[in-house]
Amino acid sequence: MSARRGSRLGDAASYLFMLVSFAFFASPLLWLLSLALRDRREIYLGVARFIPKHPTLDNFVNVLTNGAFPTYLWNGLKLASLSAAGVLIVALPAAYAFSRFDFRTKGLWMLALLSFQMISPLVIMVPLYRYMSRLGLLDTHFGAVAVYVALGCPLACWLLKGSIDTIPRALDEAAMMDGCSRFSLFWRIILPLAVPGVASVFIISVIAGWSQFLVPFLLLTRTDLMPIAVGIFTFQGLESSTSTQLLAAACLISVLPAIVVFLLLQRLILSAMTVGAVKG
Amino acid sequence: MFRSATGVVTIDAAQDPRSRFRRPIRSGPVPWMLPAIVVLGLFYLYPVLDVLRLSFTDATLIGDHENYTFASIANTIGSSRLPGVLLATLIFVGGSIVGQQIFGLILALIVIRGETRGLLGTTLLRTTALVAWVVPGIAGGIVWQMLFSEAPFGAINSLLRLLHMSPVAWLSNPAMAPWSAVIANIWRGTAFSMVVMYAARKGIDPELYEAAEVDGASSLQRLLYVTLPMLRPAILVNMILITIQTMNTFDAIISLTGGGPGLATEVISLYTFNIVFRNYDLAGGSVMSVLMLMISLTLAVIYAGFLPREEQS
Repeated sequence: MSARRGSRLGDAASYLFMLVSFAFFASPLLWLLSLALRDRREIYLGVARFIPKHPTLDNFVNVLTNGAFPTYLWNGLKLASLSAAGVLIVALPAAYAFSRFDFRTKGLWMLALLSFQMISPLVIMVPLYRYMSRLGLLDTHFGAVAVYVALGCPLACWLLKGSIDTIPRALDEAAMMDGCSRFSLFWRIILPLAVPGVASVFIISVIAGWSQFLVPFLLLTRTDLMPIAVGIFTFQGLESSTSTQLLAAACLISVLPAIVVFLLLQRLILSAMTVGAVKG
Repeated sequence: MFRSATGVVTIDAAQDPRSRFRRPIRSGPVPWMLPAIVVLGLFYLYPVLDVLRLSFTDATLIGDHENYTFASIANTIGSSRLPGVLLATLIFVGGSIVGQQIFGLILALIVIRGETRGLLGTTLLRTTALVAWVVPGIAGGIVWQMLFSEAPFGAINSLLRLLHMSPVAWLSNPAMAPWSAVIANIWRGTAFSMVVMYAARKGIDPELYEAAEVDGASSLQRLLYVTLPMLRPAILVNMILITIQTMNTFDAIISLTGGGPGLATEVISLYTFNIVFRNYDLAGGSVMSVLMLMISLTLAVIYAGFLPREEQS
């Protein structure tokens, strides 16, 4: 009887904690939405007008039609998807090798990948900036994508290895016995079976590329080349309190694609992440 | 030729299934790893080695001339601003990891409890936390600036005024600003700890809990003597991962405070950035980069010590 009451009490405490945490996590984005839907006068009304009296989509229209925002969005999408494709091209064969070949230094290589992952992008940008400038790769999307690919590669290798590991080796053996070459084994058997893992790594890379700020901030100075993350930062520098509703709308537009993609593919992404987390 | 080799291997395989794979591989794993090796060599290894070299020079970002000298190291390490930077970094990183670890652990345990007892809203809470995690760093900084702002649209102060409490100078008081940055960072980073803790807690053998229950352990005792000790490795690994993530944070803090007020939130990454790209002091920035690398490397070595032994499968 008392145990039952104990768990009732526990449930109540859980609900209280869940409510407070939910408010903590949800309110910043709800506030952003609230500001983005207001007109210029209502901005000054603060929390009292959490739900705007005259909600308007003008700010979104304004942001999407005027100025450089459509270009920012397009550049963001272009850089994110090109770099995600690049990450797969570089990381997939390596992940295959880590999963299927036995060699003595494998543990060392995997550890090296992990330690690369720990290096701050800023550290590599310090010397890279000068070299990119000498190679004429400043203000080119190619240069930015190359750095994105390098930054995304270590984690992608780990996650893809985990995904390929789950494909039974018996399939390799059967294919090899039929005279299948290493490459066609990889291309025609492993790759199709690894599609869920490959897809989630692609999505994770797209989201990471979309959020990338430091690299394009340093390498791309021309407005027509900037991706969205740099765009809204530039916009923040220009804004005054009279344009906060526009900044909020721009910010929301930049956040929304990442959130929507994540929500649609949450299960896929989390399973890839936990495979990585549990293994290492 | 390849066929016949495979044939031989098939016979071998009857005795030792593992040798099967070694035989037909004439080419080793290297060709497969080559793209990754080239990319990582060019964009990670080479820059890191170059940073080491540059810290022994007087290189600038714009000039081509550089002489070898120890002056850059001496100047950077001896800089009167460095202690303040390290203190700001310590507050930001320390506050964030303690907050994220504890909050993430409680969240994970509550979510698991909610799932087993069928509490309403469990999935909603978990998803909301994860959504905050997906928000790009720059946007996260801007959002929190709008929340902390002392202008009429600053949500928190506006709420405080509504409740007839005095507003707080979240971002303009140098003593408060680092903690405001910590709160914003906890908002964005906690979901990662939650996911790791969730997976680790799910990995604990349920028999341990059954045994504890038979022994009459209360739920608090089960938490203290079963859950926490079993989670210890995951907690340590998670702490190191989030320490490195937080130390490398740049975008979320430049858009939230820009390092200010004054230098109150100028953390190590922002400081390094300013040295190189505002003062064009490439050598000084390289020294700071090496310092960051050394901190990361120390943590990575500790991390490696906690990794499970490489499974020979």
